[in-house]
Amino acid sequence: MIFVEDKGEKSNSDFIKNVKEMLGGETITSCYQCGTCASSCPVAKTTERFNPRHLLRIALLGEGDEILSGDAIWLCSSCYNCQERCPQKVEIAEVIFALRNMAIRSGKIPQIYIDFANGLMNEGRVVPVSKFVEKKRPDYGLPPLKPAGVEPLRKILAATGFDKLISKKG
Amino acid sequence: MEEARIGVFLADSGGQLSKILDFESITEFLRGIHGVTRVQRASEFWRGDGLKKIIDAVKSGEINRVVVAEGIPKIGEIAIAKSISSAGLDLNFVEVLDLKGHCAWPHRDSPREATEKAKAMLLAAIEKVRLSQPIEKAVFPAVKSVLVIGGGVAGMQAAEDLADMGFQVYLIEKEPFLGGLAARAVRFFPTDDCAVCIQSPTSDLKTVTHTSRKCIYRSGISEIPNLQILTNSRVIKLEGEPGNFKVTIEKKPRYVNDKCVACGLCASVCPVEVPDEYNAKLARRKAIYMNMPVVYPPLYVIDGSVCKFHECAKCVAVCPTKAIDLNQKAETITLNVGSIIVATGFKEFNPSVIKEYHYGEYPDIITHLELARMIDSFGPTGGRIIRPSDKKEAKRIVFIQCVGSRDRRWNPYCSGICCMISLKHATLIKEAHPDADITICYIDIRTTGREHEYYYEKAREMGIKFVKGRPTEILHDPATNTLVVDVEDEILKRFLELEADLVVLAAAMVPNDGSEELAKILGIELDKDGFFKEYNSKLRPTETKMRGILICGGATFPKDVPTASLHAHSAAVKAAKFLNEGKIVKDLRVAYVNEDYCGDCECCPVTCPYGAISLVPSGNGHFVARVSPLKCEGCGICVGTCPVGAIELNHLNSKQISAQIKALLSVNETSKPKVLAIYCSECGGTALDSAGMTMSYPANVRTLKVPCTGVIRAQHIIEAFKAGAQGVMIVGCKPEGCHYEAGSQMAKKKVELTKALLAAYGIEPDRLEMFNLVYIEGDKFAEAARMMSERIEKLGQLVIA
Repeated sequence: MIFVEDKGEKSNSDFIKNVKEMLGGETITSCYQCGTCASSCPVAKTTERFNPRHLLRIALLGEGDEILSGDAIWLCSSCYNCQERCPQKVEIAEVIFALRNMAIRSGKIPQIYIDFANGLMNEGRVVPVSKFVEKKRPDYGLPPLKPAGVEPLRKILAATGFDKLISKKG
Repeated sequence: MEEARIGVFLADSGGQLSKILDFESITEFLRGIHGVTRVQRASEFWRGDGLKKIIDAVKSGEINRVVVAEGIPKIGEIAIAKSISSAGLDLNFVEVLDLKGHCAWPHRDSPREATEKAKAMLLAAIEKVRLSQPIEKAVFPAVKSVLVIGGGVAGMQAAEDLADMGFQVYLIEKEPFLGGLAARAVRFFPTDDCAVCIQSPTSDLKTVTHTSRKCIYRSGISEIPNLQILTNSRVIKLEGEPGNFKVTIEKKPRYVNDKCVACGLCASVCPVEVPDEYNAKLARRKAIYMNMPVVYPPLYVIDGSVCKFHECAKCVAVCPTKAIDLNQKAETITLNVGSIIVATGFKEFNPSVIKEYHYGEYPDIITHLELARMIDSFGPTGGRIIRPSDKKEAKRIVFIQCVGSRDRRWNPYCSGICCMISLKHATLIKEAHPDADITICYIDIRTTGREHEYYYEKAREMGIKFVKGRPTEILHDPATNTLVVDVEDEILKRFLELEADLVVLAAAMVPNDGSEELAKILGIELDKDGFFKEYNSKLRPTETKMRGILICGGATFPKDVPTASLHAHSAAVKAAKFLNEGKIVKDLRVAYVNEDYCGDCECCPVTCPYGAISLVPSGNGHFVARVSPLKCEGCGICVGTCPVGAIELNHLNSKQISAQIKALLSVNETSKPKVLAIYCSECGGTALDSAGMTMSYPANVRTLKVPCTGVIRAQHIIEAFKAGAQGVMIVGCKPEGCHYEAGSQMAKKKVELTKALLAAYGIEPDRLEMFNLVYIEGDKFAEAARMMSERIEKLGQLVIA
């Protein structure tokens, strides 16, 4: 994922302009609210907190704060069902990634993602390996885990500005 | 040729122009020009006494070239041309220019410079007429005969109109029967008329009145004396010229001749059974068949792709009138027609490619065309609405709109008629079966025609349910043989699982099969969606860029029947107008080739937007370009393209362009740096006109008119700089709105190329710029002229080594 400089949202129309300038956000304005995405979405059918059509609608109205501060963008499971079926070729899952990136850049990061990021930087793994799992490995004939090579990874994360980004909690 | 004796006539618009322009100085200047034998001033010259003065001078032989500076140039030019032409002078010897709108008015703040510019404009006009050649009038044959391709609603109506007007008409249909797609639609909206009903001919036929519509089989269309109907036929070749085409038709064998009495014995013994395409494969038919009990022609036909012919021949044995001939062969027919009307219609999109809707996989998912055949009491189910899977009555029906239309994966456009088709079918079913449970899933309901919204109202009143939401998938429960439509009701923001016995897909309407091939044969264009493309969608909706070839009906875009009829009548009028005189008289304001220079290159045939140029053998193993004077529109795009200058326009040759460039830049009394604006006589020119009415721009912008900016060559621009121009503006139509299709785009490319060339010569490329303007953008022209003047002042004096 390429990180684009955050331009900040001044007005409603600026917001959608900024989304379109993000990698993955380009197709958002093609949406004509047919609802194919919503009925395709496994998450929307389990919780009212997420509905891709509704999310895009609010974004298209320029309500940037509501989108970026809300939890909806973090609930997408990235199954791509909606994107496959969208008749307007809106890259819905990619749009949601773009919105997440915008949220992160404005410091609105859910704690779990910070934990993931710290795990990556400190251990080289997004999901921490518990003592329990480590103990179980020989039972399955697996060798003990070697520590991940964190140094090269840290260099990359520093060069891309990832480390600063996740410490930007707002 | 006789030496030029030029008369210059200066209109001062009731003395208004002389308040700005110094007419004394202008007159003196004109009198000093070689060949100018008369200079006259009056208030106006386009009518009354002024015009009489010009005509008298022409008639007496005092002058043989005319330059008129008129205050109302557009109307004036036509009026002057008409009179001078009847006085016997060739129109190419007459030049009308606009000293008011193109000089005095926009430069009223700088009278000295305006006077200087007026002199330059007049000198350019004089140099142009001095070098003019007479233009011949040519007469081409126009055969009073028309070929109509497609026997659907549009084709039948156009054919009938023209036959009634006395033209010999050939109506060809690729299928064995007339009627097209509409005949399968049961009823038409918005009148709920029968689909097989057409307008009846106005010819004097017993039992046929002109006031009514009639079923195809009783309309009398087949009995119009000068209308010949050819079914099972298609166009395979086109030769000749507009007004005199030779069309080759391939007529497939019917194997059944006119002796057929349509008794049906043949079909009853025929052992071959195949799915019936006409009935959307809901039924089966024999190899020998008729679509419907009442069709035209009322003759059986054998499907040659499945018949066993002499191996079987049971039909031949039973036919009571010996009407079956299994030895019939395909025929090739050549027709000589003056005009061609394409009315090939559209077809329904096959939605099986949309995997999530499972069309073709679950039998109870059908399209509108299939539903129409079910609703038809002559159809495969006798009017019963059933589930094809178990033939049980369908009670719960869900319609899905926009299937494959408004869908960028398949057809991005809105087919326009599917909302109305769904409303029509839903209400027809509900009327017959009030207990039917009907739901229409839609994105937007589009009912934009007359009385269309009433259909929508009626549907709601009848209890048809509307769900705003496009379903994601149609699922099938094998246990209950029920379909489930998975959709979000957007208004409630609630997910629905609609159970259905039958799901009807409102599939897109798409270009008919063979459109691409036919377009290629006829040399006409398709639009980006694959429909036949009109010459101008606003004002010439039935014409193509090939004269004499017209398009109408659903072949140009999906249409309802009233719109298709309207379009067909319009095409018929255009064909009649084209052929009515029996001849086409044309001033040869066209391109001609100097065969001494031309050879073996394909630039002009490829760039001509009208297919008017072909390569012909020159005799010594080489090829030269040949212009069809009938197809040529005289734009000059070929001139601008030819790498060796071997092609020229009769009405404006290169010498005339060069002479005008020099003349326009030669008058330089105030020694202000000059900009030359070369503008086309279409939209670009009208932007100058409108700028001249109320706005002002610098007088150092000198203007040169060409037919189309496509005529401009890099050489002309270099010539302008050599002649003293400090900047050059090219003013053309919008690229997509060029009156000659490609001229503006060609000019744009040429400008880019010339900029590179200028840079190589050490000349600032910024001295050259192209502008694409229309009439309402006069302000933009004025702004562009000011911008260029300021720009060249900043750049300083141009020095050419």
